[in-house]
Amino acid sequence: MPPELATSVERDGRAAVVRLEGDLVVPTARALYTQLQDIARRRDVRSIVIDFARVGRIDSSGVAAVSLVGQQAKRSGRTLELRELGEHHRAAFAMSPRKVEEPPAEPPPTSFEALGDSMIATWDGAKALTSIVKDTTYQGVLVAGRRKQLPAGSVASQLFEMGFNGLFIVSLLAFLIGMTMGFQGVTQLERFGAGVFVADMLGLSMVRELAPLMTAIIITGRTGAAIAAELGTMKVRSEIDALATMGIDPNRFLILPRLLAITIAGPALTLIAMFVGMLGGMLVTSLALDLPAIAYWGRIAESVTLGDFAHGLIKAVLFSWIIAISGSHFGMRATGDPSSVGHATTRTVVVSVLSIILVDAAFATITTIAGGGP
Amino acid sequence: MSTLLECRDLVCGYDKPLLQDVNLTVGAHEIVVLLGGSGCGKSTLLRTITGLLPPLSGQVLVFGESLYDLAPEERNQLLRRTGTAFQQDALFGSMSVGENIALPLRELTKLPQSMIKEMVRMKLGLVGLGGFESRLPTQLSGGQRKRAALARATILDPQLVFCDEPSAGLDPVVAASIDETLVQFRDTLGITLVVVTHVIESVRAIADRAVVLAGGRVCAAGTIAELEASTAPEVYGFFHRVPVAPHATPTTRTITRGIT
Repeated sequence: MPPELATSVERDGRAAVVRLEGDLVVPTARALYTQLQDIARRRDVRSIVIDFARVGRIDSSGVAAVSLVGQQAKRSGRTLELRELGEHHRAAFAMSPRKVEEPPAEPPPTSFEALGDSMIATWDGAKALTSIVKDTTYQGVLVAGRRKQLPAGSVASQLFEMGFNGLFIVSLLAFLIGMTMGFQGVTQLERFGAGVFVADMLGLSMVRELAPLMTAIIITGRTGAAIAAELGTMKVRSEIDALATMGIDPNRFLILPRLLAITIAGPALTLIAMFVGMLGGMLVTSLALDLPAIAYWGRIAESVTLGDFAHGLIKAVLFSWIIAISGSHFGMRATGDPSSVGHATTRTVVVSVLSIILVDAAFATITTIAGGGP
Repeated sequence: MSTLLECRDLVCGYDKPLLQDVNLTVGAHEIVVLLGGSGCGKSTLLRTITGLLPPLSGQVLVFGESLYDLAPEERNQLLRRTGTAFQQDALFGSMSVGENIALPLRELTKLPQSMIKEMVRMKLGLVGLGGFESRLPTQLSGGQRKRAALARATILDPQLVFCDEPSAGLDPVVAASIDETLVQFRDTLGITLVVVTHVIESVRAIADRAVVLAGGRVCAAGTIAELEASTAPEVYGFFHRVPVAPHATPTTRTITRGIT
């Protein structure tokens, strides 16, 4: 049977006497609260008296209702009196919140202060990034000079993960992009009777532009995100602090092996993507134009120089460094909150892709001005 | 008794001071407990002492050297004479327990592999984890992970070991065995320990001295007997499980041995 609470209100001069009968609990508290509020608003009532003589159970909702009405009455200059309270009623009312002096809350920052905070955060981020680059380079010099060693097998294991495990997806995408480019080229160039030049177009665009860019974007998604997530998780789990307190430099132990591995894996995957992309284009041209494979590769050999390969591979190295440094920077800046690992991963992908495209554009501009083509 | 650790007028915190005017000394072969309620700054102080969080002002002297005035490589050299066991254990998830414990030996010494393996076996035996070398940290219970972290912190036989909440969140039996291990480290290996905890049973079991932190400063320090007898509200409340009103600031400062 649901709890019930019957109320009756009697007037005693300017006082309203509310007699309760039943349980003052969650199912009945709201109706009582509304009724008491109405009484507390009446102009002819100067004091409210609640009689608890026939009240059974009272829970925190009942205490809250009476406490709020008491506060409302006090604000409007009325009084609230509780009569015939039993022991358990008194114990329940002992729960009602007392006024605790809270420490003064900090005022929210003004827009000027918020701007300052964001500038300070950006400056701190830039300092941290510079510090990672500087310290990792220093550790690299120490390792090169055989004054320090890398953790045994660390570069090989990273290389396997970044390079070998990424080979299939890079090859598949390069092959499909090569085919797509081939279809586009054949369709457009054949209208002008220049279908055979598809090989030139494919060779140059894969080697100089598409393979480095596409491989870098795949590496960002696979490896950059993984670096940020791994380092971020290690940071959150205090593993990086543990290294620091052991006197082991985290830059040498964690970042340098990843940087070295990606410096090898990035260009290697790019080189593979160049050839697999051209292979995809060859498949299309041989089917659509009946162009023999030997003629296709012959045209590529004529149009694509070693300088073009160097152009693509230098970009691949730069892109790989951007990815590794972004992943390391954002991973190492993760805080104690697990969600910061997710933020670090997202930032790594966004910043890496943006930086790669900016560097690519800058590279194209510089080489065009220098006379080497985009 | 030589001093291994000293804090002079230390102010520590992240952006704002969390603890101020921290002056304390830790002598050789003693176990000093940093005691205080949640959020009082115990772990922040420990991070500052272990070289992870530069102080806002003041000095941390480890083995007489000012930790934050040293060049990074010199600081690393100094830290290699210490060990730290973290609250979260901080074992490397990608390595087995044996590899975790061997890591400082592999990275920082030129000892042969066979000797490293033997030392790892010895340390694991000491913390009651004999035969766990090849297990991954994820295959261990909370108490076993804490023990493995202690074994790693002491693998180089440091003179000074810092432990952050070594027995927090563990059942009383496992917590008692961790406490016993800490005392064993001091008695058998002569290691000095600075232990952060808020588990009062652990404090009674291991501490030679305790430093009580409350209200953003050191509010008391001394032997357990001295602190048990203290009438300062924060100290009394801690040792006798009496709640202190929220946001209350310390009213009494009981300065005893160990605070200069």
